[in-house]
Amino acid sequence: MSSPFAALRRRLTLAGGRAATTAFDLVRRVPEGASALSARVVEPPLAHHAIGERVAWTDDVAFLDGTQHIELVGYIGTDPVIAAVVRAAVRIRRDRRTSIAAEAVRRVVVGRASALAALGRSVEPYAAIPIVTDDPPHPVHDLERGHAVVDRARASLEASVAKTFRAAHDCWLIADGTLALSPDWTTDRRMIGVVKSHGVLPFTGAELEVYLTLPAAHRTSVFAIGSRPDAAIHAWALRLWPWDRHDLFHGLVRVEVAAGDGSLSSADRLSRFLLAERSPVTSQPRADRLLYGIHDVGRYLRAREA
Amino acid sequence: MTMIPLGQVVATELRPSTPHQFHFWTARDAILGIGTIVRVEGDGRVVFGVVTEGFAYADLARPLDAVIGADGDPARAADEPTLRTEIRLWSAAVLRQLPEEPLQPVPFGGVAAASDRDVRIALRMDAYVTDESSTGIPVGVYAAGGLSAPVLLDADFLLGPEAAHLNITGVSGLATKTSAVTFLLTSIFQTFPVSKGTVAAVCFNVKGPDLCFLDQPAPLGEVDLGLWQRLGLHPVPFADMTVFAPFKADGVNLNTLRTNDAIVDRVEPLVWGLREVLDYAEVVLNRDDVDAKADALIDFLAERVVGKRYEAKELRDAPFEVLSFADLDVFFRAIFDHLETGRGGEVWRTHHVATIRKIRNRLGNIATRSKGLVTDDGAANDLPWGAFRDRSLMVVDVAGVDPLAQDLVFARVISKLREHLERRDLGVDHVVVFVDELNNYAPADGPDTYVKKMLLDLSERGRYLGLVLFSAQQFRSQVMRRVVGNAGTTVFGRMDADELAMPGYATLSPAVKAKLAALPKGELLLRHPHFTQPVFVRFPRPAALSGREGVERFPPSPDLPFGDAVVRRLKALDPGVAADQVRAAIDGRPDDEVRRALSATARRRPDDVLAFFRGCLRSTIAAAPVGPRRGITRLARDDDDPFAPY
Repeated sequence: MSSPFAALRRRLTLAGGRAATTAFDLVRRVPEGASALSARVVEPPLAHHAIGERVAWTDDVAFLDGTQHIELVGYIGTDPVIAAVVRAAVRIRRDRRTSIAAEAVRRVVVGRASALAALGRSVEPYAAIPIVTDDPPHPVHDLERGHAVVDRARASLEASVAKTFRAAHDCWLIADGTLALSPDWTTDRRMIGVVKSHGVLPFTGAELEVYLTLPAAHRTSVFAIGSRPDAAIHAWALRLWPWDRHDLFHGLVRVEVAAGDGSLSSADRLSRFLLAERSPVTSQPRADRLLYGIHDVGRYLRAREA
Repeated sequence: MTMIPLGQVVATELRPSTPHQFHFWTARDAILGIGTIVRVEGDGRVVFGVVTEGFAYADLARPLDAVIGADGDPARAADEPTLRTEIRLWSAAVLRQLPEEPLQPVPFGGVAAASDRDVRIALRMDAYVTDESSTGIPVGVYAAGGLSAPVLLDADFLLGPEAAHLNITGVSGLATKTSAVTFLLTSIFQTFPVSKGTVAAVCFNVKGPDLCFLDQPAPLGEVDLGLWQRLGLHPVPFADMTVFAPFKADGVNLNTLRTNDAIVDRVEPLVWGLREVLDYAEVVLNRDDVDAKADALIDFLAERVVGKRYEAKELRDAPFEVLSFADLDVFFRAIFDHLETGRGGEVWRTHHVATIRKIRNRLGNIATRSKGLVTDDGAANDLPWGAFRDRSLMVVDVAGVDPLAQDLVFARVISKLREHLERRDLGVDHVVVFVDELNNYAPADGPDTYVKKMLLDLSERGRYLGLVLFSAQQFRSQVMRRVVGNAGTTVFGRMDADELAMPGYATLSPAVKAKLAALPKGELLLRHPHFTQPVFVRFPRPAALSGREGVERFPPSPDLPFGDAVVRRLKALDPGVAADQVRAAIDGRPDDEVRRALSATARRRPDDVLAFFRGCLRSTIAAAPVGPRRGITRLARDDDDPFAPY
């Protein structure tokens, strides 16, 4: 369907801008209030680096992802009680086909301690996790806090599954999201975090423009993120698909690896590998940033849930 | 018994399980395909099904995603580091449920490949193949995933009386139809229960040498021998076979491709006289001819004239003895002479001259177009009516004769079979009649010919008599529906795609149709009253030579000159007959006379062939030497006679 804003887009282009066509709702998924992430360029200056032709991994590669199904199940008084099933799995790819390598599931009930106490043993086999806060009860805010508790439960489960996997395999493990979720991950030299969300940006000003206008098949200079020097993460942005006529974030991911002597030299090589992982293209809304292997794990977990 | 699952039943709102159909998924590399029989267990039920459709798809939502993923370059599609997740989804039609009542949707259980025993139960063969008794006729093996399970037809539903007849459809040129029927006849002869009576087969050979060498052994490979063994059959050709073939127009050379001296002993001439033809005269009359007046004249000839002394003083003083077409023509000529002289007007004994001329033309036409089949001497050589032997095969070779004569042969042979079976005096209890190219004889459209009506009658009522029709054609859709519809057992070989597009095949799934369109030689899709769904079977190569092989191994002898042909035929009766003596005996005699003698000798099969043959020739008066003409004795000269002329 033709857009009523075609002429406006043309004028924007004439004015030196870049037209975008991504649906507004998809752009809005970036949380409001996005702030800068503390980052230090370790491969100065911050610039665009061509990475060359994509190269497919031939060795075994594994993918890690987690899902959560969360529902408000009721109230004790006015205190909300939510329940969730969180799942995490690692699927390993051998000879271009994936299979399950490790997985775990956890069922939790989250609420104010008083609400959980009122429920007693009736919540079994669900694990009861209290909302810890000094703030007075507020049904809306408690829902948000409960959601955050479930998020942490899922992150914890992902870390646990990754640990199980790592105990038996030493191949590259690609996680959906930041490595900062687990201290183990920030020191795992064979782990890569692929961050699709850009609610938190590492730069501002001119550097931000450099960061966000990265051409396709290019990476940015490597920068360090994280507050603890002993658990620093090296990261760079990688553009998987051209963003022209889409939006600034189209095909843009942040790649994270454990900081180390080899992280700078391996940035190009890993980027070429990851560039190859952009296909097959999934049919998900954020297909431009979603690696098929990650998508495969998510689908597996959703199928298990069903 | 622990079931090794091959797949799992799945049902969605769009693809639910029903009592007659279900769907299941398998691993990508599971060994099964269209036609595989599977077993489902669940909820205390066992369900057997046959795979009718297969689906494979990946998680690709739009083809455009594949293009984008490969950067628009098909060669780069192989570079994708991860193969898309894909599914093998199968649809199966239910063959049988246990318990059978109440009939319920197929449970969501595990799916396993059927075992040998499962196949027997799934196809309900357990009803007629038991340790105590069996009416099973092996037709082939169901082969899938390393399993090779015999499939048997129920004799009661193949040869009657419950159901009967078999129809086979398949493209020409692969010899599948002929091979299948040949193999099945062998199987019937070897396994038809003695308690069910005796059986023989009459096959009409309508093309080339197709069925002419079924008594000659064919070399078989290990695979075929294994199939024969698996089916419990002996790979042997037909031991008791006779080929019946008319003569060519010369009346001495047989009109068949089985004329090699080494095997000609099993070939019998098929010769009919006026009586045999007149009984089936309506076969050669078209719709316009069939009227009450023509019928009346034919009846008059059959009942009052042919084979009798018929007196008609107005035609001639001497009575007529009409035994042959030549005699009949003399009779007709006498009528026309009588009418043309004005003594009888336009009507002779209530028959109008136009009707008489029409019947004369039609009957004369038979004699002309069927020369070789129809003899002029009135003596017939026919199938052994009343003396059919159990497990004997008679091949009636009409491949080289005129279509009109073919119709005549079909009509007479089948009618005679029916007559004898009705009287129970044929010699056997069941006769299988094999007719190839059925679309020629019982076409879906076109006029109602006698042959068509006769085939319809055979298909509808034959099973009560033990008269069973095995028929074959390339295009089932072009055959009269009631004829093929009455076939209890239906077989499909490789099919033409255009034919499969006809409405009659709507019950077959697209995958089954696709398999049929590329079916290898030796495989068939089989439908039988006991089988809820059609199943694919593989049958071994027949143990008898095919027509092509037979002609290569036994090349037909070239047509011989009249005299040599007579010698050959007499030598076939007695190899000790001296050619010179035969030639001396027939030298200077009319061909018709020699043919009559030869025919009589062949019928009688005397101990002393040559003597009998000579005896059949008309006796001749030895020629006396003629000396020089003597003239009148010259008178002695008498000079004293004054009146002497000189």
